Amino acid sequence: MRSITKFAMEDIKLPQKEILRSQGIPDEASLSENFERIYMEAAELFQELAEPKAIIAGIGVSDFEEVFRGEGLNEKENPVEEIFRKSSHLALFAVTLGPVLSEKVTELFDNGKYAIGYMLDSVSSYAADKLADLAAQHLYAEIVGRAAPANSLRVLNYSPGYCGWHMSGQKKLFEALRPEEIGITLNESCLMSPIKSVSGVLIGGPGEIHEFVNSYPFCNTCIARSCIERMRNAVMDAGG
Amino acid sequence: MELLSKISFNLQSGFDETVTALTKEAVEKRIPPDEIMNIGLIAGMNIVGEKFKNHEIFLPDVLLAARAMNCAMEVLKPLLIKDGIPIKGKVVIGSVKNDLHDIGKNLVAILLKGAGFEVIDLGNDVPAEKFIRVAAEENADVIGMSALLTTTMPVMKKVVDMAKDEGLYSEVKIMVGGAPVSKAFALEIGADAYSYDGANAVETVESFFRENS
Ligand code: B1M
Repeated sequence: MRSITKFAMEDIKLPQKEILRSQGIPDEASLSENFERIYMEAAELFQELAEPKAIIAGIGVSDFEEVFRGEGLNEKENPVEEIFRKSSHLALFAVTLGPVLSEKVTELFDNGKYAIGYMLDSVSSYAADKLADLAAQHLYAEIVGRAAPANSLRVLNYSPGYCGWHMSGQKKLFEALRPEEIGITLNESCLMSPIKSVSGVLIGGPGEIHEFVNSYPFCNTCIARSCIERMRNAVMDAGG
Repeated sequence: MELLSKISFNLQSGFDETVTALTKEAVEKRIPPDEIMNIGLIAGMNIVGEKFKNHEIFLPDVLLAARAMNCAMEVLKPLLIKDGIPIKGKVVIGSVKNDLHDIGKNLVAILLKGAGFEVIDLGNDVPAEKFIRVAAEENADVIGMSALLTTTMPVMKKVVDMAKDEGLYSEVKIMVGGAPVSKAFALEIGADAYSYDGANAVETVESFFRENS
């Protein structure tokens, strides 16, 4: 299975409170009129300029082992390795919001429109992250369409740069997936362009396989700390 | 309301056009430019900074105020130079080589400008050599580097090493920041400081100048 999907804009929800939370703004905060106006403008610009796309390609466990090994720089012990070996479905994925949004952010900053530029960037970051969840839902729907899954089927996305999977893993992932087809390129530092892009593997299987204890040595210095929430919520989202 | 208070008030509300017009009016009324800057603009920005710290306002509000400050400074800058009023300090800033992400760096640059520093923004994807060359040419006080991923962080060490080789290390302070950067990393590569966000970056740069005075 290898597919390219263009998402409809209504698939991408922009819950204001959640987006503001990602900016460190508590739900109960009272916002200035200026703030509200800037947020609305950014959300409108996002709707106008985003070009959400995904590429998803199924992969077998042994081929994925090779991709995951990457440049040999992963943490010796990591949860992803334990999870993918227990999976029933694996697919490489990359999602992007396209280049126009980031160009617009740059243009806004260049023209001194910092507040709206920042807000558009923030809305886009949130949306790019959610796009990876949509890719997981897409694979879930695909599996469900093919055969009745076990009730507990859960699909979750895992990315290089998280949970002990080294950033350099992007190289093998790109060789295998070739997301250039949807306009995503990788530079020598493993940075993707457009910037609002996410890559990784979608792992499907019984919900329990995604559970792990976050006490790996690298968990101490992790700034994402989203694993617990992911295990609890994103699993449900992806699994429908 | 007295003119300089009006400038401060409008700046806090992010009304850039009004602040620019009032600044021009103050210049026409022959109020000394450093007074306009200190009592009108910087005083306003200080209040904005306090409110931000107390979570009464948020980053977009600060950015609106910073824009108003920058617009007004465009009016004042030539006059300040003419009067020989020294600038607070000069910062050369950029996102390191192969790092095409610059939003965090932009925020830091804007807030530094808002605090009255002169900022030379080299943009993103900046090679180590360029940081060093521009810092030397411009006689900068601070080099600020930003990185998004661990894979682009090694350039920061290269800049520190080059600064040592070129005899710039004792002349210029080096500050690093960005999501994967840490205090430990800054220490390890020999940078002078790590900073975790825009407001902290301003405090850090201010502290460099306190150390020197
Ligand atoms: C000179 O002095 C200074 C002083 C202070 C300085 C400074 C300079 N520069 C910055 N600062 C500081 O002040 C600024 C203002 O407050 C701040 O600047 P920032 O640029 O950090 O802040 C921005 C204004 C807002 N912050 C951000 O935009 C980054 C936030 C986090 C959560 C994040 C986000 C949102 C995203 N990401 Co991703 N992302 C993470 C981040 C983790 C985190 N908690 O920080 C990080 C950076 N990402 C990471 C990863 C791995 C990735 N991300 C990716 C994608 C994404 C999204 C698209 C979903 C999204 C937007 C990305 C973007 N930057 O536009 C991928 C890469 C994207 C690419 N183009 O290559 C991908 C590689 C995942 C993948 N495989 O797809 C991690 C990097 C790990 C590493 N080893 O390097 C990461 C640390 C998360 C983690 N694992 O904990 C401070 O850092």
